[in-house]
Amino acid sequence: MSPLALLRRHWVWLAILFVMLAMPFAFYDWSRGRHSGFALTLMSEMALMAVFALSYNMLMGQAGLLSFGHAILFGIGAYFTAHTLNWIKASDILWIPTELIPLAGGVGGVVCGIIAGYVATQQRATAFAMITLGLGELMTAAALMFITFFGGEGGITTDRVIGSSIFGVAYTSAWQVYCLLVVWSLIAAILMHLQTQTPLGRIANATRDNYERTQFVGYDPRVVRYWQFILSGFFAGIAGGLYTLVYEIVTFDTLAAVKSANGLLAAYIGGAGGFFGPVLGAVVVVGLQSGISLYTSAWLLYLGILFIVMVLYAPGGLIGVIGQHAPIARMGRMRELLMPYARALPPAVITTAGFVTLIELATHRTIGAAQGKKLALLGIPMDSADMMPWVVAVGLAVAGTLWLRVEARRFRLRWNALIEDAKALGIVS
Amino acid sequence: MSDQGKAGAAIQLTNVRKSFGRTEIIRDVNLTIPRGQRHAIIGPNGAGKTTLFNLISGRFPLTSGSITVNGRDIAGLAPQQINHLGLSRSFQITSIFPRMSVFENIRCGLLWSRDYRYSFWRLLGSQRALNEAADQLLERLNLHNRRNRPAGLLSYAEQRALEIGITIAGGADVILLDEPTAGMSHSETDYAQQLIRSISDGKTLLMVEHDMGVVFGLADIITVLVYGEVIASDTPANIRANRAVQAAYLGEEAA
Repeated sequence: MSPLALLRRHWVWLAILFVMLAMPFAFYDWSRGRHSGFALTLMSEMALMAVFALSYNMLMGQAGLLSFGHAILFGIGAYFTAHTLNWIKASDILWIPTELIPLAGGVGGVVCGIIAGYVATQQRATAFAMITLGLGELMTAAALMFITFFGGEGGITTDRVIGSSIFGVAYTSAWQVYCLLVVWSLIAAILMHLQTQTPLGRIANATRDNYERTQFVGYDPRVVRYWQFILSGFFAGIAGGLYTLVYEIVTFDTLAAVKSANGLLAAYIGGAGGFFGPVLGAVVVVGLQSGISLYTSAWLLYLGILFIVMVLYAPGGLIGVIGQHAPIARMGRMRELLMPYARALPPAVITTAGFVTLIELATHRTIGAAQGKKLALLGIPMDSADMMPWVVAVGLAVAGTLWLRVEARRFRLRWNALIEDAKALGIVS
Repeated sequence: MSDQGKAGAAIQLTNVRKSFGRTEIIRDVNLTIPRGQRHAIIGPNGAGKTTLFNLISGRFPLTSGSITVNGRDIAGLAPQQINHLGLSRSFQITSIFPRMSVFENIRCGLLWSRDYRYSFWRLLGSQRALNEAADQLLERLNLHNRRNRPAGLLSYAEQRALEIGITIAGGADVILLDEPTAGMSHSETDYAQQLIRSISDGKTLLMVEHDMGVVFGLADIITVLVYGEVIASDTPANIRANRAVQAAYLGEEAA
């Protein structure tokens, strides 16, 4: 294959690599010549959550298995990594380069996958979901009981600086660790992408689509589920290993229900139908968690609202919404959507502003005021005890919604016309 | 003798019974289908034809009696294990992989027989022989111009053809087709009949079918099932002349 053809085929990966390496420099402190620690941690979290969400999607998107306990694979991977680091540090003989440490997480994930998967993959559908829920609770309880391995509530602390590296890097700075994360998350993502094109990956799709038919083409759906679960455990474990390298402490909430839910949220919001959906979802979820949470204590509410809106209006997730534009882009008529989108933007902003103000006023009234906090939105100070902000917020929300409905109808007309044209051209069926 | 017997029977049913709760659906069926025969099962609705298929393919367990496929007793075997004995089936209600492409559907049918099993270290894109075989089969099914379309978006007749394709892809020598032409137009039925004839060449075919044109056009032997019992099993000419059959089944249709 010529270099140009290769580039055309794999441009997404190169784009991701470029963004991952370039983004930290957008937050670079040039006056002091230092990276922003917050930005690096945020992006490390995004990268490792993207790997976790992709591994989650090996079950949900690829095999049609809804898991409520995926974090146990992540958490065990994280604990394995922490213990491995501590062993290396304490031992005189054991030598593993830091670059390969995330593999310890992968091993942990596989071990956990072999045991937990053996139980969970006996069943599919709702029964599978219930078993994974139970396993998640069981592991969380176990983490608080078996102190030697899990370290109880305090968790296991470790030190990633073990003085062994193939490239002679110390991994003392956040930037060095971030670079290691970029490489590992890309490797993990590429391997997961390749896995979808293997016999096991395709048969997993087949069991998702029609599990009974797969039996009659010679496959045991249970074995398919089991293998898929173990492999997904490997990648979830690697994500856990990366987590340990970044934070140097592992507590029981790495394997608890909230972590599992985050994987599910990321995969769903991003879109389980396309391979890169969960990556988008992880960026959004982590962004809300770590970014928005700096500004508001109601960030979890916003995440919940986003999730509900996606389930209701875009069940294909963000990647699905993008994908729906493909036929129009192929006709070369994206420009015709520019105006409808531009027209829908102001009412969308007003509606959002209205609802956000309402939520912020409400949280300030119930929690913030008692803590003596001052409320200010976009630099505008307001008092939640006053009548005025409430009236304005309700006004914005109502007016915005009504206006948005008008623009949405107009948008839909344009959209449907374009899709009809695409159908006439045979681009969509 | 025994060797000949083994080589002779693709499917053998001995005193087969099946009950759901108190209702007996299959009542003491004995049937031998020799290798290479095209065999049709007919009978009124509710006669137990599809149930019989589900028993032979391992979808349901037997209540009593025994079934052998290519000389092996299938008691206790899962559907995929019976498939490994060389038996493959289609379904009355179209059963394909709707979200996967037509090509992927066929390829999934090929994988096991080509020993790919559960491997996750081989990329399908570089398995040239496998992909060529899938494309050839698509050509035979006249579906090659639908190759990359999601199977769920095909027309009904195309989905039926695809289902037959998935069924035969693995190279099974015993093929069970459950009402392959149900719901098809005249021309589609004619085409399907040709297709079934060509794909069952040199293989054992057992089919349930309601279209008498297809049945009498294809079958070497016809078995008539009424209320879970075999009332006749003979050549098409003899079945047509059989009084009991006329009374139980053909007569009703003619009248």
